[in-house]
Amino acid sequence: MIEAVPLEHVVLLATILFGIGLYGVLSRRNAVAILMAVELMLNAVNINFIGFGMYLAPDPTVGQIIAIFVITVAAAEVALGLAIVLQIFRRKSNINVDELDLLRW
Amino acid sequence: MSLAWLIPALSVAAFVLLTFAGRRMPGGGAIVSLAAVAAGFGLAVYGFLDLRAADVEVNVGPGPFAADFLNAGDLSLKLGMVIDSLSITMLLIVTFLSFVIQLYSVGYMRGDPRIHWFFAAVALFTAAMLGLVLANNLIILYVSWELVGLCSYLLIGYWWEKPSAREAAKKAFVMTRIGDVGLLIGILVLFKATGSFEIDEIFTQLRAGAIPGETVTLAAILMFLGAMGKSGQFPLHVWLPDAMEGPTPVSALIHAATMVTAGVYLVARMFPLFVASDAAMLVVLTIGTITAILAALLALVETDMKRVLAYSTISQLGYMMFALGTGSVTAAMLHLGGHAFFKALLFLGAGAVMHSTTGIVDIDRLGGLRRKMPVTTWTFVIGALSLAGFPLLSGFWSKDLILNSAFAGGHWVTFVVGVVTAGLTAFYMFRVIFRVFFGEARSDEARNAHPAERLLTLPLVVLAFFAVVFGWLGSKLVGDPFGRFVFAIEQIEAHGESIWVVVLSSAAAIMGILAAYSVYQRNRPRAASIRAAAGGVHTFLAKRAYMDAMYQWLIDNVSLTLAAFLAMFDRRVVNDAAVDGVGASVRLSGRALRRSVTGLLYNYAALMVVGILVLAIGLVLAG
Repeated sequence: MIEAVPLEHVVLLATILFGIGLYGVLSRRNAVAILMAVELMLNAVNINFIGFGMYLAPDPTVGQIIAIFVITVAAAEVALGLAIVLQIFRRKSNINVDELDLLRW
Repeated sequence: MSLAWLIPALSVAAFVLLTFAGRRMPGGGAIVSLAAVAAGFGLAVYGFLDLRAADVEVNVGPGPFAADFLNAGDLSLKLGMVIDSLSITMLLIVTFLSFVIQLYSVGYMRGDPRIHWFFAAVALFTAAMLGLVLANNLIILYVSWELVGLCSYLLIGYWWEKPSAREAAKKAFVMTRIGDVGLLIGILVLFKATGSFEIDEIFTQLRAGAIPGETVTLAAILMFLGAMGKSGQFPLHVWLPDAMEGPTPVSALIHAATMVTAGVYLVARMFPLFVASDAAMLVVLTIGTITAILAALLALVETDMKRVLAYSTISQLGYMMFALGTGSVTAAMLHLGGHAFFKALLFLGAGAVMHSTTGIVDIDRLGGLRRKMPVTTWTFVIGALSLAGFPLLSGFWSKDLILNSAFAGGHWVTFVVGVVTAGLTAFYMFRVIFRVFFGEARSDEARNAHPAERLLTLPLVVLAFFAVVFGWLGSKLVGDPFGRFVFAIEQIEAHGESIWVVVLSSAAAIMGILAAYSVYQRNRPRAASIRAAAGGVHTFLAKRAYMDAMYQWLIDNVSLTLAAFLAMFDRRVVNDAAVDGVGASVRLSGRALRRSVTGLLYNYAALMVVGILVLAIGLVLAG
């Protein structure tokens, strides 16, 4: 029998992925790259949920159901996000977030 | 005598009527206030007869009338009146004098454009003074007291076009205000100690020994401070000479006969309080004595007739005060009454002189008026003789009573001062008489003086009559009716009367007159040489003992410095720092915080992360 993966490892993986995603959100210039990093964060969260679902929930399917919810919402969000990015590209011919500061004081 | 409230009320009504409708009335509506005061006098006479008939053990005591006035918490103030010998006496004097002087004013102030306001203010003053005299509780007394001060301000500043009149009015009001603070605090001290503002209640507790000695002394001295302000006692006397800026009838009524006697009345009314405290009696005695002689000295060098009379008033008030200090309410009140008559007479006489010489009041520019204005001259002389205490006139009896009280009480210093001042009084009054009425006219106005009209001379004659007669009421030769009517239970009777008192005071008066005669009538150069010889003293007195200068210095260096500091504080701290500062801090902090709104998403994301971290750590730490 393959040994079950310890919970700590699952959480650690999720944390690392989340951190990488966070770093990407904060430091990338390209809007599409930021959206990709956001996806990475969401996936990390999914792993977290499934891991906790397996070990700490009464029924492992709880974590999986939540993960499916998250995937659904993520898909919708990305669709919207890419639509907005497309609009921006059409106006400015680049999607450098450094230049999106019209709401500045 | 439950109608006694009408006495002041009628004058209040006159005031209101004249203020609003006086301009349209013929003669400025003098009739209205004259009628109100005359009615008041009638009622006062009725009250007097009533009081005599009731055969009450007349004394300085409470009155039976009270009506609820104010209810605040468990403090209930009853509005009532005191009808006793002291208040009746004052009522009679105030109403009578107010009437006579207002009659005089009809002639004196004729042609003045604002005359309706004059009579309105005089009516208000009369009402306030009457209210003060009738007050049975200290609140009404205080309110009337302040109102009287206000009327004094209004009337001194009646000709407010003159800057000197405005200044004098302010000076009078501010100085008496200083005293009024003392009075107010004294009233509050008494309230704290007895729980009541009513005079009879306070006396009941006092006589039962329920008030600690220090409190009695404190309250008495504080109230005396009020009396000092109103009655021009040293050192709060400096406003009185300047108050002569007002019309002469005002000087006669307010600053000779009535308002300034309010202080004497206060001490007389609160006499049980004063007698209970040796320290307070000593204070009253001392201040009165100092005032008497200081004012007499200052009168010696004045050349303005009215100012001489003003100082004379201050001096006589000093006599009244130290009479109270020696324990005799009777003597003080007798002198108050007599003084009211002859001082008013003297002022009105001076007014007649001014009226007749188009406003000259400087004795150096007058002279020889005896031939032009006989009635004025001789009534003035009678008034002066009475003031000086010439034997058998009114002042003689009252001064005798006062000096006797001092002598018998063992107050040697006061007695000597009293006798010397009597001599000085005679001297300065006759100095004025010889310079103004005798000799040769020294200016055109004096040469062209005309006799005073009937409306002016009639009051003079009436007052002269009383100036002779009033004091007899206190004479033992006719059974001393006054003394049996007006006295305080705790009064200190003067035993051991000595013939020396009479002799000395009469001698002082006569010597004063003779001295004035020799210096001023016979040998004019003598006056100049005396003045030269007494150079320094003369300057000192002419500069009013530097008291005005001292007060001015105090105001400049103390008051104004403090005021400047407070103004700076208000500007810099309150306005600039506090108010403007709050605004500025909001603005500056806004400007600083604004820089976090960059419009860049990743900045916002970073802030969100930081925020979540802080919350998470906080939650973990808080357990």
